[in-house]
Amino acid sequence: MNEPILKTENLCHVYSAGTPFELTAVKDVNIEIYKGEILGVIGHTGSGKSTLIQHLNALIKPTSGAVLLDGRDINASKDSVRQARSRVGLVFQYPEYQLFEETVYKDIAFGPKNMKLSEAEIDERVRISAQFVGVEEELLDRSPFELSGGQKRRVAIAGVIAMMPEVLVLDEPMAGLDPGGRESIMENILTYHKKTGAAIVIVTHSMEEAARHAGRMVVLNHGTVAMDGTPEEIFSRGEELRSMGLATPVMTDLSERLAALGVKLPRTVYTVEQMTRALLELERGCRDAS
Amino acid sequence: MLRDITLGQYFPGNTVVHRLDPRTKILLVVLYIAALFTANSWASYGVVVVFLAAAMAISKIKLRVMLKGMKPLIFVIVLTAGLNLFYTRGEVLAQWWIFTVTREGIRSAVFMAGRIILLVMGTFMLTYTTSPIMLTYGLELLLSPLKKLKVPVHELAMMMSMALRLIPTLIEETDKIMSAQKARGAQFDTGNLLEKARAMLPILIPLFLSSFRRADELATAMEARCYHGGEGRTRLRVLRFELRDFAALGLGLSVLAAVIVIKRFSL
Repeated sequence: MNEPILKTENLCHVYSAGTPFELTAVKDVNIEIYKGEILGVIGHTGSGKSTLIQHLNALIKPTSGAVLLDGRDINASKDSVRQARSRVGLVFQYPEYQLFEETVYKDIAFGPKNMKLSEAEIDERVRISAQFVGVEEELLDRSPFELSGGQKRRVAIAGVIAMMPEVLVLDEPMAGLDPGGRESIMENILTYHKKTGAAIVIVTHSMEEAARHAGRMVVLNHGTVAMDGTPEEIFSRGEELRSMGLATPVMTDLSERLAALGVKLPRTVYTVEQMTRALLELERGCRDAS
Repeated sequence: MLRDITLGQYFPGNTVVHRLDPRTKILLVVLYIAALFTANSWASYGVVVVFLAAAMAISKIKLRVMLKGMKPLIFVIVLTAGLNLFYTRGEVLAQWWIFTVTREGIRSAVFMAGRIILLVMGTFMLTYTTSPIMLTYGLELLLSPLKKLKVPVHELAMMMSMALRLIPTLIEETDKIMSAQKARGAQFDTGNLLEKARAMLPILIPLFLSSFRRADELATAMEARCYHGGEGRTRLRVLRFELRDFAALGLGLSVLAAVIVIKRFSL
């Protein structure tokens, strides 16, 4: 595989070091993010997910260890920090609560403006990123506070996309949305991924979502990397996942139950489509045998 | 980081001082302050200091913790001491340029600084050993006679406890919004004063909005649980004066009395 664009080296972070409230949130984390991949980061509440991703664009400085962007430490200088902020886009949980401008247009333009781009370029980026997240042209002049919850979320994500990051990190981007909204926001993110080739990091505790889209997954537990691999590899260790307080995808559960009944599926299954295919294959196999 | 600020300096404990009725402790602080402002000699200050030291020893509050909390006040204390030192007339001890140090100046500087330090330490004793909820409850009960004058005592106490409750939430929220705007390239520490003030807008506007939303949700939640003000409201834990409260109040009164006696007869 090619060189990772972003990588952490023995990353550790300790909150309130030296006080009775000392807490090690992240310990010896080594992860790599490659160009053009979709990485799912999974872990239950308090597993260090949020702390980890805030290191990726230098919002938090590591207690020890380093974050490397193209092989260079992002905390090396003020300039490298500024670079990391624009090349690694970070969408926080419930990003709609960060909107503040008078119009949708101005809010999306906040990031590019801070990057000191020209007026023309800002305009172009605002329109492109609005398109990516499915915000119609006529909404751009409205106040962001008049929009519905789902639309606000889209505008907030557009605000980060407008910086055209090479790595887009999203913390629970679908939390609190209805199924339709979840589906379409995920599609918007995938469109950005396809059109620009940016690496996407999706932080979630929903196995289903990670299973459907991620090419690779990292499972965090108590601030350390417990697993790192393809969804197949990870979901084949269902028992371990459950012992960490994580739910396995429904289809994985189903295949495990089938196995308990003596029905052996040809391979690890974690989506409905895979299950359908596996069952059809199994049926064909039975028919051939008889 | 913002979350490192220590707020609501309550140090939980299970000593007699912690268990005293909050009303007792508030009244004790009032008596203590009265004694402190009456005191004007080494002997009377001594009585006050012994009282404070005893309370600290019983409640296991360390002197180091108190002095740490005093840090923001160093400027005020030094300024007060300085003014008293140089601007009190009397027997001249030393003179340099426009500064004159007198015997009376030294005495009043020491007493004034001591008075401020003791005043702050005394009130710290109250907040260190009393939880904010108990403190507001105690205040509410002590001020309840004012209800006759149509002062909304219960409502004021409720507002106070809610404000205390929301401070940590607000800090956490500010932290989150700041991070999010920084992720979009916002910078808060560059430019002149006007630019810096303008850079705060992306934080203040979302913060205001979320505070109003939170207040609205809280009000709805309270109404859903039938909150209708203080009328007829009962408490889970009802305060009752115990023997130890009377003993503590008696001790406080005798400290004040001792200081007054010392002053009257200039012992």
